[in-house]
Amino acid sequence: METVLMDNLWVIIGTFLVLLMIGGFILLEAGSTRMKNAGHIAGKTIFTIGIGSLVFWAVGYGFIYGEGNWFIGLSNFFYGDTTFAEEGLSPAVDFMFQMMFALIALTIAFGGFAERAKLSAYVVFAVLFSALVYPVVAHWIWGGGWLADHGKQDFAGSTVVHLTGAMAALAATIILKPRIGKYNKDGSSNDIAGHNQVYTALAVLLLWVGWFGFNGASTFGVSDAFFGYVILNTQLAAAAGAIAAMFIVWAFTGKADVPTTLNGALAGLVAITASCGFVEPWAAVLIGAIGGLMVYGSMRLFDRARIDDPIFALSVHGTVGVWGTISTGFFATHELSVGMEWGLPGLFYGGGFEQLGVQILGVAASGVYAFVVSFIILKVMDKVMGGIRVSEEEEIIGLDLSEHGSYGYPENIPHPSEQQAAK
Amino acid sequence: MDYEEIKLFRERYIHKQKDYQSLNTFHDRLTWQTINTAIQKVEEEQGKSPAPFAFFVMGSAGRCEQSVWTDQDHGIVYRGGSDEKDYFLELGEEIAAGLEVIGYPRCEGKVMASEPMWTHSTDNWINQVEKWLEEATWQSLRHFSTFFDSRVVIGESSLLDEIKRSTFNFLDNNPEVYRRLIDNVSFLRKGIGIFGQLLPEQSGPMTGSIHLKTTTFFPYVNSLRLLALMDHHLRASTVDRFIYLKENYPFLIEYEDQFKRLLEFRYEHTRLARNYEEVHYVSLAKLSKSDKQELKQFMKSGAELFEKTKSLIEKECLSW
Repeated sequence: METVLMDNLWVIIGTFLVLLMIGGFILLEAGSTRMKNAGHIAGKTIFTIGIGSLVFWAVGYGFIYGEGNWFIGLSNFFYGDTTFAEEGLSPAVDFMFQMMFALIALTIAFGGFAERAKLSAYVVFAVLFSALVYPVVAHWIWGGGWLADHGKQDFAGSTVVHLTGAMAALAATIILKPRIGKYNKDGSSNDIAGHNQVYTALAVLLLWVGWFGFNGASTFGVSDAFFGYVILNTQLAAAAGAIAAMFIVWAFTGKADVPTTLNGALAGLVAITASCGFVEPWAAVLIGAIGGLMVYGSMRLFDRARIDDPIFALSVHGTVGVWGTISTGFFATHELSVGMEWGLPGLFYGGGFEQLGVQILGVAASGVYAFVVSFIILKVMDKVMGGIRVSEEEEIIGLDLSEHGSYGYPENIPHPSEQQAAK
Repeated sequence: MDYEEIKLFRERYIHKQKDYQSLNTFHDRLTWQTINTAIQKVEEEQGKSPAPFAFFVMGSAGRCEQSVWTDQDHGIVYRGGSDEKDYFLELGEEIAAGLEVIGYPRCEGKVMASEPMWTHSTDNWINQVEKWLEEATWQSLRHFSTFFDSRVVIGESSLLDEIKRSTFNFLDNNPEVYRRLIDNVSFLRKGIGIFGQLLPEQSGPMTGSIHLKTTTFFPYVNSLRLLALMDHHLRASTVDRFIYLKENYPFLIEYEDQFKRLLEFRYEHTRLARNYEEVHYVSLAKLSKSDKQELKQFMKSGAELFEKTKSLIEKECLSW
């Protein structure tokens, strides 16, 4: 009984840690963008977390874990199970932990909206993403859907959380188009620097710690203290990602670019999310380092493709989310896959191509679903709502003022009416 | 000639100069003509100059390294006292306005004879330069380096030479300032990466282009300035400094032709630049394979030259 309670306690601690990652995302997004949008970013993140929580309670959880079919769950709506079996997690503890993943995916998706989407677009998309996009992918992999039947490995959500969020962000970025001033007429791209690198660095640290709950509590228990092993792999991958990213950006540009380094640490964390419970520590280092190298290349490619990704959500969570998921197809050990009754060993551990194939299938199907459905939702919203992007004037003045009526840094940015008065 | 006529003359012939030498001669001619027009204007309004003076150009103009597009860097020295200063500031303003009309933008850093910091009597110039060297801050040494790359366009060269000589005297008595002068120019923007690749701009309108001045020119220019100081040499042109200093510093011989070729290289690749921003960059997409190799060699040789210069100064001046 004590172990069961400790399991519950560990998972609820994990829940707290993951919720604090939202604070990390606020700092990350605010620090990586301009100060005229900082208050808006902080406020809309908390607000949409509210929306996401209620939608998850109403239908999200039911669509993921309810009794249903290969595609979607169809029971347990408006969740309120107070029972506590003497084995396993309390339903409410499990519910809360699962809810956090949905909120993180939603917050990642909003990375693609940064600095130019209307507040109303956030509201509507928060509802629809939390009901129609995230729960479906989560059901397929974690809720007993068709990919779970294939033994798809995703320990803590490289695909379910990160890739799904990133695909929605990609759809949003394409529909919203680049920010004013991002690209020149000749096709060259301008660097719209974030206003506070210290925020961004603190964000990474906060996310890093939160990730210990994200991955560590995904063991759902404390027996054998396996969470320690998972956290060890998480730490190694994040460290390798940061180092690899700083190395590659320095090698190619001659500058040890700070934002790229920070994205490298996040890339290491995203990459190891799927594989943290399946691989050996040396592989975690490699997986994180490759994530760190990939994030730099991906940032460059998106930029060249004129896809404006202000906080690099597409590269960190999308490109690296894909890599993280596929990595178990190479590195999953026999003991940690078959031994745990979760899929097969990877290619380098005698599992052949089977698990790798399942991972690739899972990534492709989940990615396509999340992108297509998000794209359709956003396109319809764009038509119905008379556009989901703010006007040019509002974008220039900043979303703090246009969407909320006050600046996040009131002392540092004069109110336009005062500017007018001064003239 | 009035300013408009000089401007038309500039526009007609600026792109027809055959090489960097004739381009610099052309710039000098335009500057000389503009100053004469400005002097005439001021004399008509304020009367004759109250004291002997010299108008000098600094920075790239002083070093005879101007590109097709170049901004203004200049000053005035006169023999006299503070009573005459207003006259020369007015003359400086007239010259700056004239040069602006002709096509030389005003210096953003306000290094112009119209500014009180860059127009002084000989004595005040000597005091100011000495103060810059005594303070030895990043900014004061930047001012000093700009000033030291100066040459007279109109007026008595001896006035400027007098200030420069006082500098040599100060440095002989305070050799530790060389350490600060070296530090002040030691930061070099990287032009070549660890894979031996060129490192162009990564964003903005000049994406894919190399900033020639900061990645390639600076080590040559800074080395020769430091050696000129140590050798008490008055000339400002980097090419002249090579010619006259190599006798005492034979290691310069292997870099002299390289630097002249670099000036030609820049002229070839920037002569069609459309504005002052563009003229500092060369687009890698427009360079042939051999051009790129040559550019890398310029950068490597420049860095090597600066290292040798640094070691020499440390040995000769800082070991006292």
